[in-house]
Amino acid sequence: MSASIAAPRFRVTQLVRWVTPTALILLFVIFAVASPTFRTPGNLLHILVNNFTLPAIVALGMTLVVSAGGIDLSVGTSADIAAMVAVTLMSLGHGLALSLAVGLGGALMVGVVDAALITVLGISPFLATLGVLFVGESVQQLATNGGTPIYLVSNFPAAGLDALAHGTALGVPAPLWIVLAAVIVVQVLLGRTPFGRHVRAIGAAPQVARYSGLPVRRATWLVYLLSALLCGVSGLLLAATVKSYVPLSGNAFLLDAIGAVFVGTTISREAKPNVLGTLIGVFLFGMLHNGLLLIGWNFYWQQVAIGLLVFAVLGASFATRRLQAAD
Amino acid sequence: MDGAIDQRLGVALATEDAEAEVPPLKRNRRGGFVRFAAIGALLIVFVVFAIAAPGFLTRGNLTNVVEQSTVLALLAFGMSIVIIGGGGDVIRGGIDLSLGANLGLCAAVFTVAVNAGLGDATATVLTFAAGASVGLVNAFAVVGLGILPLLATLAVMNICAGLELVLTQNTVLTANSPLLAYIAGATPLGFSLTDWTFLGTALLLLVVVHATPWGLRLQAVGGSVQAARSAGLRVPLYLALSYVSAGLLVALAAIVQAARLSGSSPGSGDILLSVVLTSLMSAVFSRRLLPSIGGTILSVLFIGCLINGFQLLNVSSYWVNGVQGVLILLVVAVRSVSRRSGEV
Repeated sequence: MSASIAAPRFRVTQLVRWVTPTALILLFVIFAVASPTFRTPGNLLHILVNNFTLPAIVALGMTLVVSAGGIDLSVGTSADIAAMVAVTLMSLGHGLALSLAVGLGGALMVGVVDAALITVLGISPFLATLGVLFVGESVQQLATNGGTPIYLVSNFPAAGLDALAHGTALGVPAPLWIVLAAVIVVQVLLGRTPFGRHVRAIGAAPQVARYSGLPVRRATWLVYLLSALLCGVSGLLLAATVKSYVPLSGNAFLLDAIGAVFVGTTISREAKPNVLGTLIGVFLFGMLHNGLLLIGWNFYWQQVAIGLLVFAVLGASFATRRLQAAD
Repeated sequence: MDGAIDQRLGVALATEDAEAEVPPLKRNRRGGFVRFAAIGALLIVFVVFAIAAPGFLTRGNLTNVVEQSTVLALLAFGMSIVIIGGGGDVIRGGIDLSLGANLGLCAAVFTVAVNAGLGDATATVLTFAAGASVGLVNAFAVVGLGILPLLATLAVMNICAGLELVLTQNTVLTANSPLLAYIAGATPLGFSLTDWTFLGTALLLLVVVHATPWGLRLQAVGGSVQAARSAGLRVPLYLALSYVSAGLLVALAAIVQAARLSGSSPGSGDILLSVVLTSLMSAVFSRRLLPSIGGTILSVLFIGCLINGFQLLNVSSYWVNGVQGVLILLVVAVRSVSRRSGEV
């Protein structure tokens, strides 16, 4: 409450906005100096394909949701349901296109439930999507007998699926094209359409948006459906990469996505979620995972380091903002 | 900040409140209805299990429910204190996502300390020091740096989870010590020490949070930071203390868990979402639809009965999460429909 009242008094200087990019560049230089492997083009591409694409797509959806003042804790559920449905259909011998389409439909269903709970019943996004996350876990456990992965043993649809995960077009890996498409869609929607303006208005002041006659409900529906759809794409890409569906694996996206979106807000003048900031945040996390591994830190220390880094970036930017607000 | 702005803020707050809330009398009646419905649901679950599940209503089983729920209860108390102090808005208000990871870290600290031959007293001190330090870091981030609690505690959660892995190398560690054996075995007055921990903490917090000046001021801070500040309360102190108290409760829960599991095992962090759910659900048991210690006790027992009853009825444990999820949605839907303000 105090934040929303104090907001107009913020004079966010360039300083705060450079915290995250500086951290990114600094760490990049440190890794490049410390590890010869890190700075090879092959490794940088590896980071982009393996540590960036999947969380980036999820985080783009989260950017939309957070822009509208909401939060989506069910991103992993959407990704998992899409993978579960598609892989199950494929293992039953259905075609690739049909399986993927129905999988995306499954993810959309999660979005429909989220949006209905939020707009029709008026439940807060945090609680609504938390509830969906719980129900989604049960659904997956019941469907897979407690969490047994489904492997695509027959190589029947594997050719097309493999192209999705490992193919290239114009020398660029296919997953990166998908990220690019998602970036363009979200950037255009958020920045250049009436829908995007409504979303940002709802995020800034929901009551004002409602009283101004903006289509709050329709925009909210679209936001959660789009988020679910993007998560579904990410889940399908994950399934294509590992050629299997591992129950509850999508939840790993959740915290990285939320972290990336909010780290991304630090580069914006108004401290708002934005596509570029989100991408920088996701890349920062991906680079950290890869770089720390290459300089010999194990997974355990990576987690500590990422926590400390997020803490430092958020601390620096929030503390500076607070100082400026107090001026 | 000059007087004119203060006054404008006051007016803005007053109008905002007037718009957002229905008149007090009406709201109380609706709150009463929701509370009635929630307690009714608890009773129905209880009666159904008493009739359908063999052995549910025996004294041994009911104390078992309490025993199984104690770790969840201690963490949920911590979460409720943080929410009471920070306000109910989940993005800007109080929330502590580090509770689950902190539990794992504290249990690891205790186990590693005992295995290193430090003795129970030292291990206990270290565990409480670890829990309180995590609380202090949260407090520093939220109060000192002004980071949103959701984000600050998210980062701290990562740090705790990582440190737990560093300590345990992601393995199950067993520990045996006189203290753990005593907690697991002793039954003063016929109830296990874990039951007594639940009961004692619940009573203590009921009094501290709802009947002492400190508790009432904490509620005031959560109700409106501006008003609390105007009334001369040291808002940062209360917020900081709420996170530190949560950290101390986590340390206590860690020792209870170490006694139950004879050590520490990875995956303690998974309890987080249940804690969030339990604590937020406590709101429906209170007249003003805010989280409370009494409500937390009831919702912990509700979930405890549910899990236990399902076990007795041989219903697959895979259903438990789903039923919990549906329950919270039902409960908050009833609450939001009865408020009809569109925002919870």
